[in-house]
Amino acid sequence: MTSKPKLAFYWAASCGGCEITITELGMRLVDVCEQADIVFWPAAMDFKYDDVRAMKDKEIDITFCNGAIRNAENEEIAHLLRRKSKIMIAFGSCSHLGGIPGLANMYDIESLCQRVFDTSPSVDDSRGTRPQPVTKMPEGDIELPPLYDHVKFLAEITDVDYFMPGCPPVVDQVWKVFQAALKGELPPRGAVIGADEKTVCDVCPREKGEPGFRITEFKRPHEVDLDPDKCFLTQGVICCGPVTRAGCGTPCLNGNMPCRGCYGPAEGVVDQGAKLASVIGALIDTDNPEELQKTLDTIVDPAGTFYRFGLAHSIMNKMKYE
Amino acid sequence: MSHLTALKTFADEVKAIPGGEHLELCYSCGTCVSKCMIQQKLEPDYNPRRLLRMVMEGMREEAFKSPTTWLCSECDLCYEACPQEIHISQVIAAVKKLAVEAGYASPLTPVAVNEDLCSGCGICVMVCPYEAPSLFEKAVDGEMDRLSQVDSNKCMGCGTCVAACPTGAIAREGVSNAEITAQFPTDRTQAPALITFICDWSLRVDKDLSILESYPQEKVNIVHIPCTGRIDPQHALMALDSGVKGVLVCGCKPGECHFKRGTDVASCKLNLLDTILGQMQQPQQQIRFVQIGTQDRGRIRDEIDSMLETLAEPMEAE
Repeated sequence: MTSKPKLAFYWAASCGGCEITITELGMRLVDVCEQADIVFWPAAMDFKYDDVRAMKDKEIDITFCNGAIRNAENEEIAHLLRRKSKIMIAFGSCSHLGGIPGLANMYDIESLCQRVFDTSPSVDDSRGTRPQPVTKMPEGDIELPPLYDHVKFLAEITDVDYFMPGCPPVVDQVWKVFQAALKGELPPRGAVIGADEKTVCDVCPREKGEPGFRITEFKRPHEVDLDPDKCFLTQGVICCGPVTRAGCGTPCLNGNMPCRGCYGPAEGVVDQGAKLASVIGALIDTDNPEELQKTLDTIVDPAGTFYRFGLAHSIMNKMKYE
Repeated sequence: MSHLTALKTFADEVKAIPGGEHLELCYSCGTCVSKCMIQQKLEPDYNPRRLLRMVMEGMREEAFKSPTTWLCSECDLCYEACPQEIHISQVIAAVKKLAVEAGYASPLTPVAVNEDLCSGCGICVMVCPYEAPSLFEKAVDGEMDRLSQVDSNKCMGCGTCVAACPTGAIAREGVSNAEITAQFPTDRTQAPALITFICDWSLRVDKDLSILESYPQEKVNIVHIPCTGRIDPQHALMALDSGVKGVLVCGCKPGECHFKRGTDVASCKLNLLDTILGQMQQPQQQIRFVQIGTQDRGRIRDEIDSMLETLAEPMEAE
C-alpha cells in the first residue's frame, strides 16, 4: 500500500471556478498525483460521500474546501471532511469570506426564492413550484437539503486551519501552496496562505493621485475609456485595491479593470467594505456640501461594490445574524 | 538703493509670497480674533491681528515664534468676517513658509508613517487638506518600494489621513486605531448604551465639556477625536459589535470645520455606511451624525438625549 499523503477537494456553494483553477495546473497536476493520492473530488472523480464516511478520522492529510455554506448538505459534508482531515483549508473567496453567494445576505430567503423561482425572466412561474425538503413521489420520497436563511463562510461552522483567498485563487499560488503543503512547509495554523500581506496598491504600477484630488462623479468601468496608466480612483472608478490583499498577480488591473476585492481584507484591514467606505468617502469633492448627496448617489450598489466578496464576513453580517 | 534691497523688509518678503500680498490692507480691527476658535479654545495668545501687525513692524523672529504662525488650520472663519476681505490664513501661511525656510519647526504633533505597513497607495496624499503627505521611493530588501512620508511642518494633526489609510500605516499619538478601539467595552454585559465620537472643536464652550462629563460612563462613553475627518466607519461598526446600542458622531457645521473638510468627509463616509446598513436591512437609527454650529452652545446635550431616546425604543430596519 502507498504511504503517499491523501488530498481531498470539495465544493460547497460555489460556481466551479475554484475547480477550474486546480485543473489549470495542467501537467503539474500529474506531478501532484505522483506525490499524493486524491481520495475525494466530486467535480472530477467518482468518489461518493460514503467513501469519505468509511475513512478513519484524520485519514485525509489535507482537504481543500471551496464554496460557501448555503444549505444543510454543504454543512454536513464540511463537518464530515473536517473530522476526516488533518488539515482543512478554506479554498477561495466563498469559503474564506462567503464570496459572491454571501451577497444574498442582503435579502431574506423568501424574497430570494421569489426572485429565483417566480419572477426571474428566464423562469416559467406558472406552477409556482418551490424546492421542498421532502417531495413525495410514487417511487418514494425525494429529499433536497434545506436552504439556510443566510450564507455562511466555512470558519463560521467548523475549525479551519488555513485560508486561501481568491475568486478563484490564481493557479501559481495554488501550485506554491500544493508544494509547501506536500513538503510540510505550511506556516503556523490560522494563516492566510497563497497571498501577500500588503494591499493590491503595493504592487499596482499605476500612477497615483495628486494632492487634493477629489471625485465629483463615480463611474462604472464600462462608462469610461480607462487610462491604463492611472489609478482607477483618480478616474472616478471604484477600485478595491487599497483595502484588498495582494497576491493575485493583478490580472484584473492588467486587463484594465479595477480590483474587485476577491483576495479579501489586507493585514490591518478589519472590515473590507467599511474601510473602503472610509477611503472613498475621503476622496469625494467636499467644496460644495450641498452637492455631496448627488456625488454619493452616483455610487451604484455600495454594499455589493464595497463588500463584493466579503459581505458574509462583515461586522454588519455578524450583527444581523448573530 | 537697488530694487532687490528694497524687497528686503519682512513685510515685503511676506507680500512676495502668493497669498501674502493682502497684508497691507489690514487696519488691525481685530474682527478676525473675535471669530477665531483657536483663540477661544486652545491658545489665548493666538492672535492673527497681532501677527499681521508684527509682520508690518518687521518683527521677524517674534512672528516666527508666535503660536499664530503655526496653529492656524485655515478654517477661514475669519476670512468671511474680515471687513477688508483679507484671506488671513494665506497671509499666515506665507509667514509660516518663511519661518520653515528660516529653520523653525511646527510645535504640533504630526502623524507618523509606519513603513512596514505602508502600501504606498497614495490615499493619504489625496485626502490631506494640507498636502502634508507625499510618496517617495526607497530601497527595501534590494527592491524599490513606494512609501508615504509626512511633512511635519504642514501636518495639522486632524487625522483625516489616519482614518483613510487602509492598513493603519499612518497614526497620530492619541488617536491611533488601537487607542480608539481600546475605549470600546470589552464586556458586552457592561456596555454603555451609547458611544459618542466627538470632535473637540465642535464643543463650543467649556460648559459643553461639563455637559459631556455629566453623563455616567456606564451610559454614555465619550471618545474624543481631533476632527470628524478621523471617523472610520470600521470603528462605528466595531463599537456596535462590542455591545453598545448606538453610535453618535458629533462634528461641526459644513463651512465651519476647523480642518477645512473633515466634517464633510465624515458626512460622506457615514452616508455610505447608512446606505449599506439599509441594503443589509439593518436599523439605520443606530448610527447618527450631527453637525453642530459655532453658535449652537449646549446643543450637545439635546443631541445625546435625543439619541438615547431613539435607542430606548425598539429598533427595526426601515
